[in-house]
Amino acid sequence: MTPDDQTPHLTFLVGEEKRLAEIISRAEIEPLLRSALAAGFSRASVLDDHNLPICALGDQPMLLAPVIPEIGHALYVEGEPCGRLVLEVAEISSHYQAVALVIRDALQLTVNNNLKRMLTTEVHTSIVQESYEQLVISNRSLAESESRYRELALDLERQVEKRTAELKTAYAHMLQQEKLASVGQLAAGMAHEINNPNGFVLSNLNTFRKYITRFREMLEFYNLLTTRDISLENLRRLSKERWKELKLDFIFLDAEELLKQSMEGAERIKKIVADLKSFAHIDEAPDADVDLNVELERTLSVLAPSMPADAAVERCLAPLPRISCNPGLICQALMNIIQNSLSSRETGLCLRLATALEGGSVVVTIWDNGCGIPPEHLGRVFDPFFTTQDVGKGTGMGLTVAREIIMSYGGTIAIDSREGAGTTVIIRLPQESGGR
Amino acid sequence: MIEFDEQNKRLVLKLVYYGPALSGKTTNLLCLHDRLLHEGRGELMMLDTTDDRTIYFDLLPFFYVAPSGFKIKLKVYTVPGQVRHDATRKAVLQRADGVVFVADSQAAQMNNNFESFDNLEKNIALVGLSFDRVPLVIQFNKRDLKGIIPEDELRETWGPTGLPVIMASALQGWGVVETFRDVVERTFDAADLRLGLQSRFGVDRGDFVATIMRIGQEDQ
Repeated sequence: MTPDDQTPHLTFLVGEEKRLAEIISRAEIEPLLRSALAAGFSRASVLDDHNLPICALGDQPMLLAPVIPEIGHALYVEGEPCGRLVLEVAEISSHYQAVALVIRDALQLTVNNNLKRMLTTEVHTSIVQESYEQLVISNRSLAESESRYRELALDLERQVEKRTAELKTAYAHMLQQEKLASVGQLAAGMAHEINNPNGFVLSNLNTFRKYITRFREMLEFYNLLTTRDISLENLRRLSKERWKELKLDFIFLDAEELLKQSMEGAERIKKIVADLKSFAHIDEAPDADVDLNVELERTLSVLAPSMPADAAVERCLAPLPRISCNPGLICQALMNIIQNSLSSRETGLCLRLATALEGGSVVVTIWDNGCGIPPEHLGRVFDPFFTTQDVGKGTGMGLTVAREIIMSYGGTIAIDSREGAGTTVIIRLPQESGGR
Repeated sequence: MIEFDEQNKRLVLKLVYYGPALSGKTTNLLCLHDRLLHEGRGELMMLDTTDDRTIYFDLLPFFYVAPSGFKIKLKVYTVPGQVRHDATRKAVLQRADGVVFVADSQAAQMNNNFESFDNLEKNIALVGLSFDRVPLVIQFNKRDLKGIIPEDELRETWGPTGLPVIMASALQGWGVVETFRDVVERTFDAADLRLGLQSRFGVDRGDFVATIMRIGQEDQ
């Protein structure tokens, strides 16, 4: 026990020695002594263990007075004599002795009972004191732990806020990364597509340069012949021989073919660049009135390089009202979904695209006969970074990004799939977009 | 020690009968009250009880006056054994000079014995006494009953503690005086060591013990 300095601290020792005067009070003794006087005693007193009176009544003792006989009885505390009852009377008789015994017994009984009461009170008080001190201590520690938990709760809130903000930033960052990554993928496909025609255009031009030296040789031969004095017949014969030597018949034919092919190649590059530009909507304002059918076609043509050779694409496109949105973002969403379809099957892929207007919403349905999604994965496909592809192949952000975009226009995206049978993705965009 | 008054040549010692509920602590004191002569002692004071079970404590005082005039008062207390009265036990245990642990010999009570003994160990420390220094005697009471742990088994368990173990039946009145004598002797020795009762105050150990332990005529 460590009592506060401020708390009044009572300490009892069970069994502490007590003097008679501590146990019985004057007020308790007096009535008994008074009855002794009434019974005829001249003087009645109770003395403590040092023979000093605690209470005395009756005639004052006088010096030089004759000695008055007295009846004395010891009083006991815990069996030990600790005081005396003294009663004085001129003549002692059995009557007085009997009265003295009664008074002694009454005093002793009071002493005994008082002592018991004091002992129980002491024990009780020390228990009350102790339990109070324990309450104070436990109250203090409760208050401490309460304030600790309060702080902890506050801190927790701050931590949660901080972490939430961090997550938000990281998430936004990842979305951006994913967009960049798919642009990178796209760029790689495009580069291949452009390289191809560019390659044969260069090769053709190279050949054409060689052909030009032949042309020059022929023309220079003519020039030379015209400076010489030779017959027309000879001229014809010589130039014919040279023409044949230089295989100019073949070269003219081939040159024409080369140029035609090169023109085609350049045209192809021109178309790819145009596709890319329109896909990225470089030339357009962020939000525009967009026909989703057009955007679907654009996306398909951009994805053409990664389309398997034997893939069959079916279209079932209904005329659609234009909706207001950022075409670049919409194409990104469509591309992410269609790319999944393209990688869902190596051979024999069938891709079916359908658009419709249903109750004020534009609905785009993309169906494939690919590998499908196992039921245990179906609930997680929109989760950021969820991917079943090998590390480095997919970021696991494709559908997340697609959903972000669709939802930002107040639309919904749903996926239905059966493993081994195929997947259907249904996009709904409200005709009147709530705007971003 | 309740009181030591060198000037008035007076010493008041405290003995405490500790132990689990219903192990016979009050019966021990009743038995001592019956067996020991009236001259050397006061009356047994039993404070309020409920259903005959102690809720405060019982007190039996003993007195001794040496030829030198030095007085020793020995106050013997019981504590309430029920678990709920722990605060009272602590209050009574304060400044104890000797302890008798009254254990119940019945096999079913062994757990209660151990719990109460743990409680004694804890409370002795809480009231500022040293468990190793307070004289302690173990009494296995109720040897008259059936279903008790055999004596050699008890001695095997408690022997390693080095504490004196005494078999008793407070109800039949045997082992009680022996227990008391043992704890009185040990308590005297401990007080003597601290205060020099024999050398400085002319208190004879044998006379002290014999006076306290005076047995009634019918028992001699």
